Amino acid sequence: MTETLLDIAMMHSDTLITRAKQGDKNAQGKLVQLWYKRIYNFSYKFFLDHDLAMEAAQKTFISMCRNIEGLQDIARFKSWIYKIAVNYCREEARKTKNSKSISMDKIYNVEAEESPQWENSSARSDNPEKYYQHTELSDILQKSLMELSAEQREVVIMKEFEGLKFREIAEVLNISENTVKSRMYYGLDGLKKILERKNITKETIHYEL
Amino acid sequence: MSYKPDESALMAYLYGELQGDEKRSVEKYLAENPQAMTELQGMMDVRKILSVIEDKEVIAPPIVMEDSRQRFLWNTPYLKTVISIAASIMLLLVAGKILDLRISFEGNSAQISFGAPAAKTDNPVQQGLTAQQVQDMINQSVQNNNQVVQASWSESQKKIDASIRQNMAMNSEKFNELVKKASTASEAQISGYVASLKNENQQMVKDYFKLTTSEQQKYIESLLVDFAKYMNQQRTSDLEAIQLRMASMEQNTTALKEETEQILTSIISNNTTAPGNTGTKSY
Repeated sequence: MTETLLDIAMMHSDTLITRAKQGDKNAQGKLVQLWYKRIYNFSYKFFLDHDLAMEAAQKTFISMCRNIEGLQDIARFKSWIYKIAVNYCREEARKTKNSKSISMDKIYNVEAEESPQWENSSARSDNPEKYYQHTELSDILQKSLMELSAEQREVVIMKEFEGLKFREIAEVLNISENTVKSRMYYGLDGLKKILERKNITKETIHYEL
Repeated sequence: MSYKPDESALMAYLYGELQGDEKRSVEKYLAENPQAMTELQGMMDVRKILSVIEDKEVIAPPIVMEDSRQRFLWNTPYLKTVISIAASIMLLLVAGKILDLRISFEGNSAQISFGAPAAKTDNPVQQGLTAQQVQDMINQSVQNNNQVVQASWSESQKKIDASIRQNMAMNSEKFNELVKKASTASEAQISGYVASLKNENQQMVKDYFKLTTSEQQKYIESLLVDFAKYMNQQRTSDLEAIQLRMASMEQNTTALKEETEQILTSIISNNTTAPGNTGTKSY
């Protein structure tokens, strides 16, 4: 994961968090801007659904703005906000499971898979075919991720994509560090088997790229 | 060979969260167990494959903050006021129930009572007065009242007028007098004051001179007397001294006389007896 300006800003946001904690609405707004992408991507990988991810991310930040005054340790902001996000993701997952309805997006997504997303490809317009292959592979991988159990998926996303330490993940999920590591182990193991089944190896990636 | 890292140690190693001896022992174990190494390698590959997934770009909706704040503000105050109103009504109801408050409307009368309503016979209403009579009575009393009020008002006003006028007249007179006094008095006062000052000064100077001359006279007199006394004393003492001298001179002269007489007698006697024996006899 390469460090972007946003990542650097996130690492040095202690004063921002302090001000947000004191009720500075402006600082809270900036925190939302800083963290929205991370929380959204976390939820997106959890659901593989844009609307649900948006829903969970928004709820997370509403809750963050309301409760940040009660945050005791600024250094734990990261695990704190992921904790909120995980709780909302689980809640949303429960809701959709109970309603047992298929969201409109899922129906449309079937078509979307067949029709390339040209309108989103402006960033890589230099090589649309490569981009198409890339997004296709990305989709397949994300779907493989969805085949994991929710418990393993949470850990794998937080570790692999959000870059949290095992200690932080343990804090987020309120479980022991060893449990986190063991879930990670079985998560990776499971993913390996799923990818093998789908015939995706390191070589195929390099070939396709 | 006895050491075999568990899953969590392997994971920690995989993500570089292992340090020191633990890391070294895991590395050693992996070097000795190619099977475990390939397993871990597979997981590394999975990680590499997963790294293809990239973050989706998303723009944070600005409504999040506003929405939360608005809802927050909308809910609480209304809820609070409604609850407080309901609570106060409840309080009133409970208080009424406890005090046994009764309110009854019968005919033209409204009655509020705590406990059982009082017997109606307790306050007999005068009967036989028609509305016209009551109206007349009211009118009359109102008229009377008006008259009395007017009379007292005019009287008091007159009094006040009179007193004000009197006060004004008195005050103006006093004021005039004062002004006159002040104007006339000032010159005379000043001249009088100056004159008195002069007189006083004169008197003082005079007194002073008198006093000093008399003192001086006294002093000179005493001085003269003293001098005379001194002179007298001096004279008497001088006289005494002269007398003393004179006496001593007299004595001396008499002594001299006697001596000379003796010498003369001796010389005469010697001359008469023997001139050769004079030398031996005088010794």
